[in-house]
Amino acid sequence: MTGQASPAAGRSGARLAPGTDRPQGHAVNLRFIDWIWHVRGSLPLAPAQSSEDAFDRLDPLFRQPGTSHERSGDRLTFRKKNQAAQDKMSIFDGGVLQVERAAAGPVLRYHLTSRALLFCFLAPLLFLGIAQFTIVLVKLQGPSTEAASPSGKAQKKPAVAPVPMNPIDQALGAPAPEKPGKDGAEGGGRRGKKPSPTPAYVFAAIFATLYLVGRILEDRLIRIRFRKRLLGG
Amino acid sequence: MDGIRVGKRVVGTQSPVTIGWENIPRVEGGPVKRLFFTWFQPVMLFALVAFWYYAPNSIAKASTAIGIGIGFKVLLLGLEWVNPRYESWRLTWKELVTDLFYVGLGYTLLRIVDSYIGSEIAVKAIQHHFNWDKFAWFTGLPLLVQAFLIAFIFDFGQYWMHRGMHNWYPLWLPHSVHHYITQLNINKGAVGNPVELFLIGLGIGGFFDFVPRAFLISGAFGMAIGTYQHINVRFNSPRWWRFLFNTTEHHSLHHSQDYESSRSNYSGSFIFIDRMFGTCIDGEAELLGMEGGRRMSIREQMTYPFTEGWKAIKDRFGRATAAPVAVAAE
Repeated sequence: MTGQASPAAGRSGARLAPGTDRPQGHAVNLRFIDWIWHVRGSLPLAPAQSSEDAFDRLDPLFRQPGTSHERSGDRLTFRKKNQAAQDKMSIFDGGVLQVERAAAGPVLRYHLTSRALLFCFLAPLLFLGIAQFTIVLVKLQGPSTEAASPSGKAQKKPAVAPVPMNPIDQALGAPAPEKPGKDGAEGGGRRGKKPSPTPAYVFAAIFATLYLVGRILEDRLIRIRFRKRLLGG
Repeated sequence: MDGIRVGKRVVGTQSPVTIGWENIPRVEGGPVKRLFFTWFQPVMLFALVAFWYYAPNSIAKASTAIGIGIGFKVLLLGLEWVNPRYESWRLTWKELVTDLFYVGLGYTLLRIVDSYIGSEIAVKAIQHHFNWDKFAWFTGLPLLVQAFLIAFIFDFGQYWMHRGMHNWYPLWLPHSVHHYITQLNINKGAVGNPVELFLIGLGIGGFFDFVPRAFLISGAFGMAIGTYQHINVRFNSPRWWRFLFNTTEHHSLHHSQDYESSRSNYSGSFIFIDRMFGTCIDGEAELLGMEGGRRMSIREQMTYPFTEGWKAIKDRFGRATAAPVAVAAE
């Protein structure tokens, strides 16, 4: 069994979803996209394992700062707020765990929601928006003052006499500075340059990658953590 | 907690701290690992300074500096993985995403804002009306002296801006958000309210970038020293390094949950500035943050200075009989 949303898990997920009193049609439509921030999965329990025993073993995961949980029969519901950075379930904000009795034995099904995953999924859109904003801004600024000057040339600054290199630097062999005004010799920093959309595109790509990594990694990690707890003493 | 007396102050009464280099753990492992984590910092500093000193003009550009900066941070992320200072500061996926979000804001929106209302525009205006011939004495100094002066003057300004943030409530409000981080990782320096990130970016260092090489060398000082403020790596930094430069140990104390400890080690790179003004404490802390280590969400980090500021204004001016506003615990 995988931690990914299988059709069966999806059905049970819709049933398990915390606060799912919404109309069925709405739930069905949302199901096509809610894998973005919902993590569903299931784990087989030992044949004789009761829900109480399973939840007891998982209990330390829910005894964390900012976490509240409640059990009722075969169902455990939890909520997290301002969860600690090192909380093993820090990316999740809430969820439902339910023990179901199947023909093959008891199964723990879980359905967890993560605003962090949703945020990371949307972050590339934010940075793409910033890139577009930057482009519009540069267009609004128009041509640079140098290009717009009537003569087509930059207004000449008062000539600055070139400063000779310090003898110590000459002796140590540092390259001589280029003459002021030559490309890269003056204003080598970012001053005077128009904002570029490139960094925003780079960060959009970084967050798209991070989302893919996180969606797969956190899905696996929570499955491993649940299984370790359920199998452990 | 009894606390530890350091000069006139008693630290560690609210949260455990370790004071004195002799009490700070050393790198554990084989001789190669210990050698690496003892000499990594000095070797990188000298290598970077030498690179910028001798690099041909075609390479000595801001774009090269940005590339090296990114590569250096990736390397440091690897070191965090190999030799963490505290397991309780391990970088998780969520922490990485949060940190990089702020790094992204810094590279995009904040740069745009800075180009309109930041120090850059002021510097540009001043430069326009200034006779740089009067600065020939400076540009005639040896490159390394120029670079040190640029880095020192910038850090001196940062020291007082940072100290001001810890002592004046309107400045504390935007800075407080940064103190809600509960662990140190390589990109945590970028985490904070954008208003603060804008304020901390204000400096006079930008005056000097008409001398690119000296400016780039001074940037190497910042990168190869200041970057270690927020890092989860255990180093055996040499004694002279710890005396001169800010370290992750110093900065962890600054982020301690202990209020008195947090009022120390304000400088960015040169801890001797703190020594000059009596605010340096040599030590470290593991438990970081505010309100007992409550992790603040990005949404709250964005709004906190404004909501708290509004509360403070209402407290002060809202009621005729209001008591004076108490300075909140930092």
